[in-house]
Amino acid sequence: MTTVRTISPELTAVADEVSELFEGAFAAVDAIRRDLLEHFTGGRPASEDVLGVVHPHAAALLDKGVVLGCGFVAARDVLADRSLYLAWWQGESQQLLGQADAPAGDPLDYTRREWYRVPEATRERHVTGPYVDYVCTDEYVVTSTIPVLAEGELLGVVGFDILVETLEDLLLEPLRRVGATLVSENGRVIASADHRLAAGTLLEDAGNERVRCGSLPLALVTPPGE
Amino acid sequence: MTKSLRHASRSRSAIFAPLGDPGRATRVEQRLADAIRSGLLADGERLPSEQELASMLGVATVTAREALVALRTQGLVTTVRGRGGGSFVTRPKGGDEAALSDRLARMTRVELRDRGTLYRVIMTGCAELAAQYADDQDAASLRDLLVPVSECDVAVWRHAGSELYLSVAALTQSARMTREVVRHEADFGVLLRLPLSTEEFRSATRGHHERLVDAVAQRDPDGARRAVHEQVDEALGHLVDLHRAVRE
Repeated sequence: MTTVRTISPELTAVADEVSELFEGAFAAVDAIRRDLLEHFTGGRPASEDVLGVVHPHAAALLDKGVVLGCGFVAARDVLADRSLYLAWWQGESQQLLGQADAPAGDPLDYTRREWYRVPEATRERHVTGPYVDYVCTDEYVVTSTIPVLAEGELLGVVGFDILVETLEDLLLEPLRRVGATLVSENGRVIASADHRLAAGTLLEDAGNERVRCGSLPLALVTPPGE
Repeated sequence: MTKSLRHASRSRSAIFAPLGDPGRATRVEQRLADAIRSGLLADGERLPSEQELASMLGVATVTAREALVALRTQGLVTTVRGRGGGSFVTRPKGGDEAALSDRLARMTRVELRDRGTLYRVIMTGCAELAAQYADDQDAASLRDLLVPVSECDVAVWRHAGSELYLSVAALTQSARMTREVVRHEADFGVLLRLPLSTEEFRSATRGHHERLVDAVAQRDPDGARRAVHEQVDEALGHLVDLHRAVRE
């Protein structure tokens, strides 16, 4: 039995809070995208040029302390000197991932990863995870990516990783306030007011009430009929 | 070849964690060789300098040098002199069979069983949890890693097998578990995939892995566990046969 009820303003406020957290970082990497597009107008830039464009943005975003890593990941062969390339910095030391010239099929070929593949296919921004990223960070993260498109051609993606632990730290208190669970598009728990509901669990849709977090593929879920 | 260490992940830090026991040069050599063969250290990556390696691993510079010389002899490292030079990883292209056999020959039957048991318990546990946590997308991604029986390139089979198990480990949603499996893949997974050189075992592997992916797709933890159990058991059986052959 599902009961239709009006969504409480408190729940909407928490959804907005989640949305703001992600949109802030999305705006920062979107600035990278716009800057990059200018550098691609005069032909294929070299990896070094791309590093110069991305680095100040990435450093500024990492300094804020919420994201674990961020930057630009190039589509195959769009750079003058590299086939595959990650202008991506991560960790406290802001280490550059950099070169990843590996033959297709090697773990370093990131083009099959969801965070690359989905925006490539849909041409829309995407939120991947929570998932264990054993390719780059070796951590449990949520990765958000935006395709970089120039006249329909995919030049790569810009994006950021946030540790699921960080999201728990930042969001648990507001989630508890409204007794809600934050889930990804496919219903995977990111953080929950219910301490028994571990991150990564697939939430069955049992007539739960869902409130979307802005235009993000994330939602707040509360048990029905409270 | 101007590549630097890709990143400072935890599994990679494990490669450079301090060593405590005697036989250090050999152990440094072994650890780096395993990391290179498994692909944890990528082809063309620059290794830290002798001094850096020595301080990271907590050994004398001369020990690090000795290990690098041995790696060079094995063809796993190329040294470039001068500015922009250094030691670079040279990943063997399928020609590492001899080196792996060599490693196998140095193991006792007890060690083989010891490692095999640990590997099997970890991987069956991962499969069971993966079947609880995987969504349809995850199952589809695993299916993409199945190798067609017609494939004859053993390197493709080995790579896909390793990637399949790493993906299954990641589906447990545990970063620690995944890092642990990365370590065991480099250490023992490479040996367990030696028997893939025979068509018979490739075909059996395909069967087991298909059942694993089916079970994950159907959210059947027991089925997933059984499929991995059978695969690892069969691989271990072939591996002890190989072991006997190289020891005798």
